Amino acid sequence: MVPDLLVTGVRVWSGRGRGLLALDRLAVPAGQSVAVMGASGAGKSTLLYVLSGLLPPDEGQVLWAGQDIAALNEAGRAAIRRHSFGLVFQDYHLFEELSALGNAALAAAFAPRAARAALVARAGGWLARLGLAGLDARSVASCSGGERQRIAVARALACEPPVILADEPTASLDRAAADALGADLAQLARADGRTLIAVTHDPAFAARLDRRLVIADGRIIEDSHD
Amino acid sequence: MTEMWRALSPGMQDALVALLLVAPGILAGAIVLGGLAPRALVRAMLRRFAWVNALFVLLIAVSVGVGTGLVAQERGLRQGSARAAEKFDLIVAAPGSELTAMLAAVYLQPSDMALLSGTQYAEIAGAEGVDFAAPIAFGDSYQGAPVVGTTAQFVTHMAGPLAEGPLFPARGEARGGAYAPLAPGASFSPAHGEADAAEHDAHDGVSYRVTGRMAPTGSPWDRAILVPVEGVWAVHGLPDGHAPGDARIGPPFLSDQIPGTPAVLVRAREVWGNYALKSQFTRKDMMAFFPGTVLAQLHGLMREIRSAMSLLAVLSQVLVTLSVLIGLMILVRLIARSLAVLRAIGAPGRFVFAVVWSYCAVLIAAGAGMGLGLGWGAARLLSAVITSRTDVLVTARLGWNEVHLVAGFISLTLLLALLPAWAAIRRRLLVDLRG
Repeated sequence: MVPDLLVTGVRVWSGRGRGLLALDRLAVPAGQSVAVMGASGAGKSTLLYVLSGLLPPDEGQVLWAGQDIAALNEAGRAAIRRHSFGLVFQDYHLFEELSALGNAALAAAFAPRAARAALVARAGGWLARLGLAGLDARSVASCSGGERQRIAVARALACEPPVILADEPTASLDRAAADALGADLAQLARADGRTLIAVTHDPAFAARLDRRLVIADGRIIEDSHD
Repeated sequence: MTEMWRALSPGMQDALVALLLVAPGILAGAIVLGGLAPRALVRAMLRRFAWVNALFVLLIAVSVGVGTGLVAQERGLRQGSARAAEKFDLIVAAPGSELTAMLAAVYLQPSDMALLSGTQYAEIAGAEGVDFAAPIAFGDSYQGAPVVGTTAQFVTHMAGPLAEGPLFPARGEARGGAYAPLAPGASFSPAHGEADAAEHDAHDGVSYRVTGRMAPTGSPWDRAILVPVEGVWAVHGLPDGHAPGDARIGPPFLSDQIPGTPAVLVRAREVWGNYALKSQFTRKDMMAFFPGTVLAQLHGLMREIRSAMSLLAVLSQVLVTLSVLIGLMILVRLIARSLAVLRAIGAPGRFVFAVVWSYCAVLIAAGAGMGLGLGWGAARLLSAVITSRTDVLVTARLGWNEVHLVAGFISLTLLLALLPAWAAIRRRLLVDLRG
């Protein structure tokens, strides 16, 4: 069973003491898809980084499966990301010199030897499921933006994480590609019972998700459910 | 343990030293890479910054190549000069500089030397224990190659049987050194003097025909044209060592018919006899010396310079190593974003460490390997240049010294590459991820 994600009393300050994030409580039930919206600089990405353990908060707890991610060391946070969180970035962050499958199965490089083949097979399966069947060997450099982001999603899903954290996954795509990817992400999360938390400026994508948070000045000012 | 070590052949000892030198680097690699598979990612990073990586490899290669090439060259020069002198057992000359006499007799360098008289030559040639005593006569040249007069015995002693043709059958016949500018069958008229001072028409009317060629000796004698010593004397209007009308070639010579010789190349019947002869002819009116000893003294004098060169080589390797370290630190900044992506998707720090270390190791190994190749090429090129300018056959090859130097360099830099790898996983993840 996928655990809930719970944030309590989290505070993040900038180096100059400016408050970047102040969340008293945020609970994301397992399997829920959440859109995090707000103006630029509002603290959306900071929230995502805190949830993923990329940015340990200055105060507070981020609880996942009974563990406080914020209290773990770097190795512990990396292990959580490796096993439980799939990350998707706005500008893909793919390795241009690797093939589509090489990128999607990137985690195989640091997976235990016995798990590598299965991980590569799963990555190939995700590529196919995301509409990139037959493109395994294709160089990422020759892929379109939409294809690249799908490869990035396949990479995030290759380890079958229960949580997907996406930072503006559709922002670099044209309207059609953004709509298609948004629909796929929402559907994938729903079908497999994954938790999806996506920072987005795209109302159309946000509308596809179960819940919408609006953040301003690091605080949640609006929280709406379908 | 010591006994076991001594029982090993020198080659085995050198191989083991090389292995021991490179072992720390290999051990570090085994520990860093154990159970991980960073190859595809390292290849991707190498391809991403291919030109920068290539430049970095080239810089390592050049520094390693220069270091190994110079060490090999210095050794090759020493060995070449020693090899050129090894057939010259004992030289007897008029009192003066042994070095000048050696340069003239062994390396055929133009020089002004006092002459030994015919009586002195006869005394030397007739001394007990002398196998042969070859007078030499030089001062003429043809197309830059010295024309040297001597005896068949000495030529045979130095170069063995001729590679082509019989040896000194007649006065007007010459033998080319292995690389002399004349092929068998060619005729020539020698110039008086050598190099720029040569008078090309001084011996007009005198002609030699080349009827044979010596086997290579690795000495300046390979470029020389050898003629019977009688011919050189006669060409200069001097008595030719034999009674008038006697057309014989070679010893014995009549002491009152010898016009003088700058040096006599002596070989004793027994090796120990050379020492007795040296002692016998080291006196006020002549000097006797072993060219090998003079050369050893010369090399001994250069030992200090060699030590300084070695120190400089080590210092330069240290500087290169530090430069490599700084370069690797800079290169790691180039790949920082890729590394941040890896860390963001959950790659363990150990894996990121392994990626960076492997990336550095590939550059270091490629640079060092290419450096050995460059060193080999540079040594060959320099050897060819020195051989063509001095006629001393210098065959600088990369030896165990250079292998040890490179093995030590690789090992040290592989260990130092742990630093940029460590620095890479200490970088601020989010800062690098945002670029």
